[in-house]
Amino acid sequence: MKKIHQNSVTLMLLLSALLFYSCNKSEQTIAPIIANEALTTIQLQLTNVSNAADVQTPQWEQLLDNKGNPLPADTSKAILNLAANSTYNCSLLIYDKTQNPPTNVSEEIYNRRNYHLEYYQPTPISPSNLIISNTSTDIPGTPTSATGPYLNLVVTRTDLDTNNPPLQVGLSTQFVTGAASTGRLRVVQRHQPNAKNGTYAPGSSDFDVNFTVNIK
Amino acid sequence: MLGVVRIFVLLALLPLISFGQKECTLTLSGRVYDAATKSGLPLATIYVIGERKGAEADENGSFKINSFCPGSYKVVCAFVSYKADTLQIELSNNSIHDFFLTPIASEMNEVVVTADREKEHVIATQLTGQINETDLARIRGSTLGETLKQIPGVYSLQTGPTISKPVIHGLYSNRVLILNNGVRLEGQQWGNEHAPEIDPFIATRLSVIKGAASIRYGSDAIGGVILVDPPSLRRNPGINGEMNLVGATNGRMGAISGILNGAFDKRLKGLSWRAQGTFRRGGNARTSNYFLENTGFSETNFSSTIGYKKERFGGEIYFSQFDTKLGIFTGTHAETLADVIAAIQRPTPITPSYFSYSIDRPYQTVKHDMVKISAYYTAPRGGRLDFVGARQQNERSEYDYVPLSGALNPELFLRIISHTADLIWTQRNVGHFSGNVGGSFITQGNVREFQFLIPNFRNYGGGVFVIEKWTKDKLTIEAGARFDYRWLRVYTLDSNTVKEITPTYHFSNPVGTVGASYRVNDRFTITGNFGTAWKAPTVNELFSYGVHQSAASFEIGNKDLVPEQSYNLTASLLYDNSRVHLQLEGYSNVINHYTFLKPALQYIHTIRGAFPAFTYTQVNATYRGADANLSYNLTPKLSLFSKTALLFAYNETLHDYLVLVPPQRFENGFKFELGKWGNVSECYFSASHMYVARQNRVPPNSDYAPPPPGYYLINATIGCNVHVAKQTVSFNLGATNLLNAAYRDYLNRFRYFCDDLGRNITLRMRILF
Repeated sequence: MKKIHQNSVTLMLLLSALLFYSCNKSEQTIAPIIANEALTTIQLQLTNVSNAADVQTPQWEQLLDNKGNPLPADTSKAILNLAANSTYNCSLLIYDKTQNPPTNVSEEIYNRRNYHLEYYQPTPISPSNLIISNTSTDIPGTPTSATGPYLNLVVTRTDLDTNNPPLQVGLSTQFVTGAASTGRLRVVQRHQPNAKNGTYAPGSSDFDVNFTVNIK
Repeated sequence: MLGVVRIFVLLALLPLISFGQKECTLTLSGRVYDAATKSGLPLATIYVIGERKGAEADENGSFKINSFCPGSYKVVCAFVSYKADTLQIELSNNSIHDFFLTPIASEMNEVVVTADREKEHVIATQLTGQINETDLARIRGSTLGETLKQIPGVYSLQTGPTISKPVIHGLYSNRVLILNNGVRLEGQQWGNEHAPEIDPFIATRLSVIKGAASIRYGSDAIGGVILVDPPSLRRNPGINGEMNLVGATNGRMGAISGILNGAFDKRLKGLSWRAQGTFRRGGNARTSNYFLENTGFSETNFSSTIGYKKERFGGEIYFSQFDTKLGIFTGTHAETLADVIAAIQRPTPITPSYFSYSIDRPYQTVKHDMVKISAYYTAPRGGRLDFVGARQQNERSEYDYVPLSGALNPELFLRIISHTADLIWTQRNVGHFSGNVGGSFITQGNVREFQFLIPNFRNYGGGVFVIEKWTKDKLTIEAGARFDYRWLRVYTLDSNTVKEITPTYHFSNPVGTVGASYRVNDRFTITGNFGTAWKAPTVNELFSYGVHQSAASFEIGNKDLVPEQSYNLTASLLYDNSRVHLQLEGYSNVINHYTFLKPALQYIHTIRGAFPAFTYTQVNATYRGADANLSYNLTPKLSLFSKTALLFAYNETLHDYLVLVPPQRFENGFKFELGKWGNVSECYFSASHMYVARQNRVPPNSDYAPPPPGYYLINATIGCNVHVAKQTVSFNLGATNLLNAAYRDYLNRFRYFCDDLGRNITLRMRILF
């Protein structure tokens, strides 16, 4: 009797020792970091329709460290200089510079334009000029200024997606400037999976950046 | 001729009930026999329905129950694998009655008491709570966090309708330890959105230790311990089983769970087994007015046990797997602060309201496997050695929206493998002393892939403890000491140099406990305990640096954190007579180096906008409160009950309140025994009113929205047992939020985005065979 139970106990301890010998050191191998939706660089490419030499390429950039966390943003090139009383065609270019070579994210966004929507909000703006609609690039809740001076800039989207009925996208836009003025331009990309309806509210922002605007 | 009488305790601290007013000194005694062999049945249980009186038969099968008042009683005699016998008796003198029990194939699951000595509470003088088998059967189908809310002092921290974590006296995550069949549940429990990976269907009973239980279980048991215990393996040869079916209207949820227990005979005598499995599926949950898109879930669990038991020794091997996929409400897609604020300002979410079972991104999947080996040996002169060894593997993947690459990969993957071993020696009772001494060991390896949230790490931990108890007459005194050591090495890349670095930490901590329990008389017991506990800093507290998805906050870890130290003083008063059962508990838990996310009052700017920053900081905090549980038998058929939980937490260092502290809670209700008709018995109807107050004690700058208003819910249940041939089928129909009230709970993260669950009607069926 005693021998049987001694053997059983030994067997139990051996089995459990086996459990422990399956320890491996896999934690010592660090897997590369693939950050979720890394976007680092927002560029606007504007061309004056009446002056092909007048090309503006302001850029807002914030690179990430090796863990996918933000380094200080570089806004030194986020300045948009436009001629007064002119019309510009604008393309929105988005890059992921955590990849080498940088990924052109705007191409991916274009392929998924059915659930993305771009907003361009110039400020300062008067209350009567803040239009909230499916065809306006204005953002609800933007503070308005009752008196001036205002930034004389109006942005309209010129592209459509393949929803039924089609909704605007905003990767291609037209900037129309008025008299000389200064201000800011806020650019927001809304990500609206299964929920895009032309309004700002659904979904969430993929990016929300600001450019300084000088109209001369 | 009567042998030694053993009075058996139903719940952990319940003493014998006795009547107070008149001369109540009648006795009922007798013997329990096997009807076929006419041999005595030792350890058979005899209890009186409606009174909390009972006895356990001695080694000859003899019993005696004292202190009856003259009157009419229904006495049940039961023993596992035998058909219970019920006696209706009118007592006016001391009486003798013998019971003859016939064996059957099925286990008698109506017996509430379990005569299993292995499950005795190791820390006798701490506050405890329990959900026994009968009550557990009546609330089957929910997650573990939801099920435990029955116990005053236990709350739940929720992330929507599918994710629920238990909270004990205001403390949760790594301050609450969960023991899954005797093994520490180790996964990514530091996360507020990470629910425990346990199938409540494996349990026959859920117990909670509310307080500093580090003395026995080591690090992390500051708030308490939740014990999920399956029933013992079948010993009598044969096969029996149980099937549970649950259907609920909210989310059109269905669950099916089955257990088969078997024991062998002849040459394989002593060998037993169990096989168990559960499947749960639900679709979009519904608040009082709208559906929550993408809140479905799917869960598949199974477990199996093989055990061998001889007179002196035995062992068990146990395998289990828990596999779940949880949809996350699309209305919580708020990646920026502006989106969270916009969602808070909307009275209803703008996501479409419809029902579907489909689960799309965003969702979580969790797979938790466990293999456990346990063995015990009883020494010839008394004393018992227990060994438990286990390996757990937890894999957690989070699938977020994929706007860019459209890949099939998750955004986050974490795999943690834990090995544990425990060796405990329970000494034989010497004089008035009993106790145990033991040691435990743990090692874990964590690996991450894709996004960085927490780094890879390896840890080793060990602890040794001793707990002694001295019992004489009415007094029990208990004391214990433990020493723990933890070593942690993190493997990560330095942010600047991109070189591999391995920061290493050592933590060591002694803890102690001293307590006493005094049974003033048959009705009244007072208990007090002072215990210390500790919690090692968790990897997320040390190394977080990044945006916390859907919380719209930037969390920053602190590499200089030291272990939390808690000093917990608890006291309880237990009063029991034939009509009243009162359990009154108070606690004062002082936690030094309490780690929490303090608002840094500055913003971190990312491409998505500005996020408020929070840093992991340590302060001295206190958690004080009281729980009360009262039941009153108005008539033999009608009982009233009242549960209260009060909690006051304070940040002593900053002279401020703390976030996510559960508000005061009051539940009042009644239960009516409806009696029996023919084959239908144990029918009851119960209804309750639960009021949760508004949490007004909140610190400024720590939240995006003020706590929601207080609310009340009406719940009701009706049920009964139907006896068909040799089977017993239990039915119950329950409704939660019967009035379909619209409300939001402070401890539910989804309160920024939507209301809590509307009316839910659940039908449960339990078949024993």
